[in-house]
Parts: sequence; C-alpha cells; structure tokens
Amino acid sequence: MSPRRSSPQPVSVQHAMTSADAVIDMHGVVKTFKSAAGEFTVLKGIDLTIYRGEFVSIVGKSGSGKSTLLNMITGIDHPTAGRVVIGGTDIYTGVTESQRSKWRGRNLGIVFQFFQLMPMLTLLENVMLPMDYAEMYDFDERPKRAMELLELVGLEKFANKLPVLVSTGQQQLAAIARALACDPPLLVADEPTGNLDTKSADVIIDLFEELSRRGKTIVMVTHDPSLTSRTTRNIIISDGELINETVAKALPWLRHRHMLEFTKLAQTEIYPPKATIISRDAHVEKFFMIHKGEVEVVLFDRKHGETVISRLKPGEFFGEIELMRGGKSIANVRAGANAPVEVLTIKREDFQRVMEQSPITAEALGKIVQERLKEHRAADSRSGRGLFSFFRRRP
Amino acid sequence: MNSNSSSQPIIELRDVVKVYSTAAGDFPALKGINMQVRAGEFLGIIGKSGAGKSTLLNMITGVDHLTEGEVLVHANGSSVSVHRMKEDEIAFWRGRTMGVVFQSFQLLPMLTLVENITLPMDLCGNFHPKRSRERALELLRLMEIEEHADKFPSLISGGQQQRVAIARALANDPPILIADEPTGSLDSVTADHIFELFQRLVEEQGKTIVMVTHDQSLAPRFSRTLRIRDGELDSANLAEADLRSGGRRKR
Repeated sequence: MSPRRSSPQPVSVQHAMTSADAVIDMHGVVKTFKSAAGEFTVLKGIDLTIYRGEFVSIVGKSGSGKSTLLNMITGIDHPTAGRVVIGGTDIYTGVTESQRSKWRGRNLGIVFQFFQLMPMLTLLENVMLPMDYAEMYDFDERPKRAMELLELVGLEKFANKLPVLVSTGQQQLAAIARALACDPPLLVADEPTGNLDTKSADVIIDLFEELSRRGKTIVMVTHDPSLTSRTTRNIIISDGELINETVAKALPWLRHRHMLEFTKLAQTEIYPPKATIISRDAHVEKFFMIHKGEVEVVLFDRKHGETVISRLKPGEFFGEIELMRGGKSIANVRAGANAPVEVLTIKREDFQRVMEQSPITAEALGKIVQERLKEHRAADSRSGRGLFSFFRRRP
Repeated sequence: MNSNSSSQPIIELRDVVKVYSTAAGDFPALKGINMQVRAGEFLGIIGKSGAGKSTLLNMITGVDHLTEGEVLVHANGSSVSVHRMKEDEIAFWRGRTMGVVFQSFQLLPMLTLVENITLPMDLCGNFHPKRSRERALELLRLMEIEEHADKFPSLISGGQQQRVAIARALANDPPILIADEPTGSLDSVTADHIFELFQRLVEEQGKTIVMVTHDQSLAPRFSRTLRIRDGELDSANLAEADLRSGGRRKR
C-alpha cells in the first residue's frame, strides 16, 4: 500500500509495536517453484510481522500459498527471494542446513495435521525425542520434563502407552507436548485440528490459548473459519499475497480476491487528534475503514451545541451510506481526541464496482445501513436535525 | 536376512482372546483366534471396521495386552512368547523383530527423510551412527525415493511419505513387517506402487508381511488372505476359495 498525501494533515506512519517485540519478521518473501511446465510463483512478496504472545491464524483457499508460507517460517523450505528473521535470527542468510536444523530444534515447535508420533515409542519417549535431538537438558532431567509436558496437556496417565492405544485427539495433544519439549518461544501448527472431531479440536484450541497467555507465540494454518474467531489475529492469504487485515475485518463478506483487490487499491490517510475527516454538507467520494485509532461522529446544533453520536474503532467503517444511497454528509466525522487516526480509503468507483460483483457484501452493508438509520433516528429527533448519515457498524 | 522355509511358522496365535472392559460392559474384540503365519508369506487379513483387525495386530506386536491365549514369534534364531516378556524387554525385542507401518505416515516433521530413518537405528543401537546414514540411504534407494533424502516430509507427496515410513520400519532389518491399512489414504496408482514394493520385500529380501485392510479388492495381491469378522477368523477354506475367484465373491 502506498500512503498518499490526500488527507488534510497527514503525519508519518508509526507502529506501536517495536521490532524488538517481533518474533517473526518477513520482508519481500518470494517463492517460485520450477517445474517442467514452467515457473510458478506461490508467494509474491510477503511482508509480515508477528509479535510475541500473538495467537495467529493463517487462512486461505487450497493452493493460496498458506502451507508454503509456513514452510518459510520453519525453514523447511527456502525462499527464492526476501528475508525471514525469527527471534532476531536471519534464518536463511549465511546459515547452513545443519545450523538451521539445530536452530529449529531449540526455537521452534511444529505440529501437523497427522500427529507423527513414532509408533513404537511410548508417549513419554515421543515427548523426549526432541530433547535428545537438540541435546537440551541433562539426560536424567528429560523424563521429568517430558512428564510435566504430558501433565500440561492432560496425558500423564497415558505416559507409558504407545500411540495406537490412545485416541486421535490424545495423539495430537502428545504431539503438541512433543513440540514444546525444548521450550521453544514459537509454535507453528499446520491444520492441527483437521483430523479431529469438534470436541477434541476445542481442547487443542483451549491449550493454544493457554500457551499464548503464557507468552508463547502461535501461528496456525487452518481452513476452518470457526477457529479463526478464537485467535487474536487472523491473516488471510490469497493467490500468494496477504490481504490487508483491516480490509478483512471491515468487510468479511467479500471474496478473498475482492479483499485482495481492495488491499491493492486502498490508500492510507492519517489524521492528527480532532482533525476533521468529513465535513457536514460535503460530498463523500470514498469508503473509509479505520486501521488505527478512533473516529467520532458529531452533530452540531444551536440548541445543544456539539453531540458525539458514536465512536468508531479499528475494523469499523464509515461513508458507506453516502456511497450506497447517494447524498451529502450531514454530520462531521473527526479523529478521536487522544491519538491520531489511520484510515484506509477506497474510491467511490472502485467501491461501487466491487459491490456490484459481491451481492452478499452489498446486502450485508444494506442491512447495516438500515440499522444505523433506525438506531439514529432517535438521536436525530433529539437533536432536531434531518437524517443522520454516519452510523456505527454493529459489533 | 532371515533364513526361512515356507513350512516354518514365524508367528503363531493360540486361542487369543481380547476383551475390552468399558463402562457399558465387557466387549470381546477377539474371540479365540488361532492362526499361523509362515515365514516369507505376504498375508492379508481382511475385515470391516470394528471386526478386530487392528486389535489382532496389537496382539502380534505386543503393543496391547491379551486377555487369554498366547502369541509366539520365532525369529532371529529365538522363540518368544510375546506377552510373557516384561515391558522393557518387549520394546527392545520389538525394535529388532518387527517394523510397523500405519495408514498415516507418522514421519517426524522436523527431521529430514534420512534423519527419520536413522532415528530408530540410533534408538535401537543396532548400527554404528556412521553406518546408520549409509543404511538409511540404502533403504531410501530400495523404496525408490533416495533423491529426496535431505528434504522434509511436508515437501513430498503422501505416497512418497509412506515409502519413507516403510523404509523407516525396515531400519533395523526386522524379519517381520506389520502394516495397518498402509494404502488407506493413497490413490490407487500410488497404492499399487506400495504393493509392488511390499512384494519385492517378500521375494527379494525374504521378509514376512502381515497386513490388515478393509478393502476386499486387495485380496488377489496377497500370497494368502484371512478374513476376520466380529473377532473371529472365517475358515481358511473360504478365504482361499475367495482368493481363487479374485476376491470378488460376496458372502
């Protein structure tokens, strides 16, 4: 996205999190596979930062590049171009395969859809394996530590059983315990619940939530939308590119390809505290999505003075009523009083074109428009003004 | 390589009964199984889900306890009664006597293919660490997947992963290979390739393979088939009759 100085008082982009908090930092990551049929670019320049303690889901259609993205983080595959820094270590530049293998053993836990326990080892022995491999912990300490991890996942009673004698859900819990064996700061999971019933899947996600509360960073690839509501952050990949997270949050009804289109079209505008974003009686030519900060929707009249009708937060939008129904704005929208606000904007013609292609989104927005109009008729009559144009999106 | 003559049983089950006790009452999974597996056989045990197939394999490998009866294995120059061994003895014995392959391939994701195969050798201590990589590469060659030796499991197909899992099962050169629906999640072309590899292991390496499957159509692929239903084996006559009719006859 290229910021454009279209806002009245733009200021420079600042990120609240510093790079010191970053566990994963990917810059311009490209992955091209060469085959007899030619070259195929699966990742088209990924920039992604994930911070400590985040529980992140990565979703995307089959073939979108989500597993390849994960393989770039684990060092299981190599990027064609770009940089991947994990926990401060550039894992591809000047690193041999065996150094990377050693690094992986100590810094990364990996969980896959199929549980990959060694069939002829007990659960306890399976959990001890990575400790042997990474030469972590004293030999005598390993069984004790493995037992603690089995307790953490509730399998202490089955420690001496072989994998075939426990349920698939329990096998996956044991695989997670094994992924935690060397106490890695980062846990990476590829469809970890894909082979489990709902109840077992819930147990796994509960465990991930608990681990992220304890400061582990968890990155999970899934195609199950019901899981994304449980994570602290959701990243969508479409055709090898990441969808802007604010676009995805504001307009979840859009198809991934339309989200990607908006990601590319969106302009960033930044307003200092209290700056006006839209003035009363102005024509609205853009659709606004809040990326950072808050905006206030404000009415003025002689009798009451200033009334703040609503406050909109990141992931919410405004301007849709004017774009969908036409007409001028009759309220002011301004940046919140305490901090700058960063918004993404889509031009009227782009917005309308995509709405025509996405009837589901148009319908959903239409309902929100109706609700907002209804909700605010009361405010409208109190203030004695005409139809009020900007309403908060329902949470 | 094990020395074998086709008349010599390598595995014997005598009146094997397995009863699971649950809150709802006792459930007999195996109701007195008597069978022999001869050295160098490629034995298929066919039955529906819940018929007792996997339980039967667990009795042979000693992974689970039996309720009554006995399992004898005559291999590597010794005869053992599997369920009379102590836990630690059985694990050691199993490592040298049997390789196991499952429907899901169970390769460790953080290890390369060759490391996945050296792992059981390192654990078992059968081979010197320097020799173990060499042997792992030989096994990958045998399974026709040597070119991917230093890749990670997630970068190869399911059929390729299963071939690596078979190579791993062979790591300690066990005379017996036990396979539980090893082609269950593979397409038919890939499954055919796995069967060809199994047949070669029997013919060229003298391995004994016991495989369970629910898939009737696989019957002609085995050197002998047994059928299991409700925890009991059907009579061998019927099974052999089935084999002659190409496994298509329905009972």
